[in-house]
Amino acid sequence: MTDAAEHGAGGGGSLEGRVFRPVSAAETIEAIDLAFDYRGDVTLELRAGESLSGYIYNRHMTGANPAIEIFPADNPVPRKIPYADIAAIAFTGEDTANGNSWEAWTSKKESERRAEADRVEADARARGLL
Amino acid sequence: MAVPVSQMYTVASYVLARKFRGVKRYPLVLMLEPLFRCNLACAGCGKIQYPDHILDKRLTPEQCWAAAEECGAPIVAIPGGEPLIHPEIGRIVEGLVAQKRYLYVCTNAILLERKLKEFTPSKYLTFSVHMDGLKNEHDLAVCRDGVYEIAVKAIKEALKRGHRVTTNTTLFDDANPDRVRKFFDEMMALGVEGMMISPGYSYQKAPDQQHFLKKARTRELFSRILSRPKRGWKFNQSPLFLDFLMGKKEYECTPWGNPTYNVFGWQKPCYLLQEGYAKTFQELMDTTEWQDYGTSKNEKCVECMVHCGYEASAVSDTFGTISGFARTAKLTLLPTSR
Repeated sequence: MTDAAEHGAGGGGSLEGRVFRPVSAAETIEAIDLAFDYRGDVTLELRAGESLSGYIYNRHMTGANPAIEIFPADNPVPRKIPYADIAAIAFTGEDTANGNSWEAWTSKKESERRAEADRVEADARARGLL
Repeated sequence: MAVPVSQMYTVASYVLARKFRGVKRYPLVLMLEPLFRCNLACAGCGKIQYPDHILDKRLTPEQCWAAAEECGAPIVAIPGGEPLIHPEIGRIVEGLVAQKRYLYVCTNAILLERKLKEFTPSKYLTFSVHMDGLKNEHDLAVCRDGVYEIAVKAIKEALKRGHRVTTNTTLFDDANPDRVRKFFDEMMALGVEGMMISPGYSYQKAPDQQHFLKKARTRELFSRILSRPKRGWKFNQSPLFLDFLMGKKEYECTPWGNPTYNVFGWQKPCYLLQEGYAKTFQELMDTTEWQDYGTSKNEKCVECMVHCGYEASAVSDTFGTISGFARTAKLTLLPTSR
């Protein structure tokens, strides 16, 4: 599969920053599988010329018209996009799971741990969640 | 006894009615996730890794009530995310209580004390407070210092106001059995109604994939924790599920026992795996390839022993076999006989 990768953006094996431009139905299925398992937004380049960023939350692989369902980042209404309409998938959103392992947390120095806790707390407070 | 008689009766009559009717698959606990946003970022959690525009989505009270009606399970657990963040959580709970669902609001308790005024004590409503151990272990697990003490204070206040309160504990492979037993003592001393425990397992998309318990280690750990149980310990779950965790029972997963509904729809096939979503509960039941999931059927499920898959298997054993019923009765009446 053509992978116009910007490797390393996400690091640690993350797909963040990579772009897949499938050239066959099998490659489209493969790319969509990766996008479906991804924890961040992707940007779809549709064959009609439209570019659409959002979170792929569902896929219908069987039947005559396989399609994905996506929540666009800028619109609360989900959209259904046929596999056949997808020309490219770019992993443009932050990989929200990358680098947040428990091991990473416990191995951090106390000062870093405190700083991160303070940052998360400040964010929660700003949202009125604390 | 950790669970009120009325709740036991409701669950027993619900399960027996389906057994007598020959219903093969039925839900026991609806896992209702009204939002994914949380005020903690625990490394073991696989529920909050989403972009902001997804974390900002919420189910409406009407959607929550409709999901419970549609599913029909006698028990509803509300995890998340942190459900107390939902601005209409009071209304959601009120509506589910009106439906006479036994309701477990799963919370990290950071907001609990502040939010208590929004809830009326009821036999149908229980706050299930996430506690992963004593202070050091809990604060480490939730990646924030001071949360244990906040939760303990909130538990005390909720109990003082007449609410049902249980604890909900996930154990990972670094758990110290002696410390866990001491933790059980501490929680019972607080006056909670009962405790729920489960081995941590890899959510498909959790950031931490290294510290989840494998089966052999789960059995060893839970045997060391639960053998010679103390007289005062009460568990808010099937005694046979605890047998399963200790390796005394073998069960196949019952993934339809705890169906999950959230902002994406009905999650296939279970709380932990995301293989897509169905628009309706019936579609979930009809279109999920159930035969492809479970311990011996799917590599993603091989090491899983989590309550959302196996508690329903244990309940089915209780009401489906004489030996299962006899053992449940014995352990319910004589919990220290384990």
